[in-house]
Amino acid sequence: MNKLILPPEDLSNEAISKRLTTNALNNVNNGLINKKNLVYLELNGCSGNIISLLNGQNPDFEYAFTSMVNILYSNSLMVSEGEKAIAKLMNALEGDYILAVEGAVALKNNGLYNIIGSWKGKPLTGLEAIKLLGEKASHILAVGACATHGGVSAAKPNPSESVGINKVLTNKKMIMLPGCPVHPDWFLGTLAHLLLYGEPDTDNLNRPLMFYSTLIHDRCPRRPFFDRGIFAEKLSDKTCLFKLGCRGPVTRTDCPTRQWNGHVNWPIGDDTPCIGCAQFGFPDAMAPFISYDTTRVVKDE
Amino acid sequence: MNKRIIINPLTRISGFLEIDVRIENNVVVDAKTKGNLFRGFEQMLVGRSPFDAVYFTQRICGICSAAHSMASSLALEDALKIEPMEQGRYLRDIIHCCEFLQNHIRHFYQYTVPDFVKLGQNTLLETDHHDFRLAKEINNRIAQHYLDSLAISRSAHQMLAVLGGKAPHNHGVFIGGITTKATSEKVVLIDSLLQKIVEFIDEKMIPDVYDIAHYYPEYFKLGGGYGNLLSYGSFHNYKELGTLYTNPLVLSKKGLEVFNENNIEEKIDYSYYKLSEKTDKQNQAVLEPDMDKKGAYSWVKAPRYNGLPFEVGPLARLILSGNYINRISAMDRTIARALETKKIAEIMKILLKQIIPDVEMQQKYDLPLSASGRGLVDTTRGALGHWLEIKNQKISFYQIITPSTWDFSTRDENGYRGVAEEALIGTPIANPDEPVEIGRILRSFDPCMSCATHVYSPGKKVKTIKVF
Repeated sequence: MNKLILPPEDLSNEAISKRLTTNALNNVNNGLINKKNLVYLELNGCSGNIISLLNGQNPDFEYAFTSMVNILYSNSLMVSEGEKAIAKLMNALEGDYILAVEGAVALKNNGLYNIIGSWKGKPLTGLEAIKLLGEKASHILAVGACATHGGVSAAKPNPSESVGINKVLTNKKMIMLPGCPVHPDWFLGTLAHLLLYGEPDTDNLNRPLMFYSTLIHDRCPRRPFFDRGIFAEKLSDKTCLFKLGCRGPVTRTDCPTRQWNGHVNWPIGDDTPCIGCAQFGFPDAMAPFISYDTTRVVKDE
Repeated sequence: MNKRIIINPLTRISGFLEIDVRIENNVVVDAKTKGNLFRGFEQMLVGRSPFDAVYFTQRICGICSAAHSMASSLALEDALKIEPMEQGRYLRDIIHCCEFLQNHIRHFYQYTVPDFVKLGQNTLLETDHHDFRLAKEINNRIAQHYLDSLAISRSAHQMLAVLGGKAPHNHGVFIGGITTKATSEKVVLIDSLLQKIVEFIDEKMIPDVYDIAHYYPEYFKLGGGYGNLLSYGSFHNYKELGTLYTNPLVLSKKGLEVFNENNIEEKIDYSYYKLSEKTDKQNQAVLEPDMDKKGAYSWVKAPRYNGLPFEVGPLARLILSGNYINRISAMDRTIARALETKKIAEIMKILLKQIIPDVEMQQKYDLPLSASGRGLVDTTRGALGHWLEIKNQKISFYQIITPSTWDFSTRDENGYRGVAEEALIGTPIANPDEPVEIGRILRSFDPCMSCATHVYSPGKKVKTIKVF
């Protein structure tokens, strides 16, 4: 068996998904667990989460889709097209599969604001697809802000009447991976945990604790400036961005230690406030994203 | 023999696109491209803080989000009367270059290559058709590059994050340039990543695209279309560097002309929109969605220039800048994307050399009570425009015309089809049960339907929605 040696705290944070994936892969290779099927459904959104997953490094995406899961369906990546692609989606229903969903469910006009394909000559809406596939999935992952709570697709006045997938699959358990987009490690690490040990521990909002347990504010490298009352007045300042509207104090992710795109940077490292993209309620509850004086007297709100 | 072919979804694109084609004697005689999702960004933006447009509009598109941060920052600078420093422009354009590299490499390997190269036997990579012609060793080489490219496009996003915080949906591009100061460490990190990307483009991507072209020569004759080309300008008009790529130009039967934004209009004859009763603004008619409208078939509207459909994108830019012969086809479009990838990497090298570390670009910006602005910029897929108005320091109007709205527009009342629709006309379909030709031609445009189908906007008069 692999001997697990825990590195110091903030390193372990970055290494979680790597470690889980390595274990999962070893187990797959040793025949201890079976490769599972994965259906990746894109609904009403920008398809930015699948792009973020392609950015995954720990593990990388190619490794995930060649060694961890059989991807049965992905609008962005699959080679099949048209009804032959939808046939693969329908075939998935015959077996066991994990369902990952990005994008919101558009309810307007019976779901016709988001048609994901056609089946037997009729339009297949995102609404029909999520009901059909959600019902039979062994596990459901809501990937990104639009899937977890409607996100930008449901921003006011919400012309497409978009909602998060839990509003449609009301009786199903699911793992919430909010973020705009999701960090690839949050998704791939959760997937590895599912393959290895089953569902990870989650908080009361169904977010995996291993990624979403801690407030950005509590791990922020600029916290000392906050504590001493030294605040940035404009973007590019190197001090605490709280007064520019930083949502770090209400957003629970490991961005400060994990960082993005191969751990090279993150929004606060780029001298901009966190806009709370991984917090429920994003974007409306997190707006305005940037304000130059949050300590002003508010007259119009 | 008359037959209708529907492909829905056209996979390996960003968003949802349906194709409805009529063939007679195995030749395409009519075609409709249908955008199949709608969110309504232009309506969502009304009432928000103008500063938020930069991060908010990026959520239009997951694969080209930085493009929207570029256009919205330019529109805000226009409205706030702020001229960025050249250092700010360079850094912002470097971020934009990173997105071009990421997007073009992903579009070529993950979206285009599977049309021509047999990749593998798992469900994701299984093919629907049998028209694979590459010699075995070439096929296997490019199939390996499909996987190798993932690390390369990823590192393009990594370069983007070095200056932009994260990708997709970066935080760096903003009014005045970017939000953070350049440092020598960042510049050299980007340069080292860029070197590996350049090697990949030279040694793999460009040879691969020419190998594919060699085995599929008829695609130099398919997917042509109108031949009208348009660019808002790309990496142009620097104070010291001049134009590094394309000036704002249009090419039509009338010849080459300087682009004039007043000639743009947007039509809705065949799109799911109707004029709202509650028109409350001077000169602006409010549109609302209407899926029951007679004859309408898509969420995409129909932008026209001087009343005509125009093609935008890498091939248009290469031809307009004199970097490619004036030959328009599906294969030329795909080759142009690979050649442009190299061109962009070269531009990025030049821009990186201009960077002076630790230059402050940001200030505390004040919002005017009312203002209007527009940001026009050529992005990965072509010409992107954002138009905005500010009233009482809030956004009161926002209009977006994306490149895929140009290329995947619906027809109009003058009988002009959209650019991609027209490109399909006359295409011979060898086997109507495996109509691989259609997808190959459409993907040569790099459709981004999450971009093209958000529109929902005010304009001037019934039927013709004119921008300002």
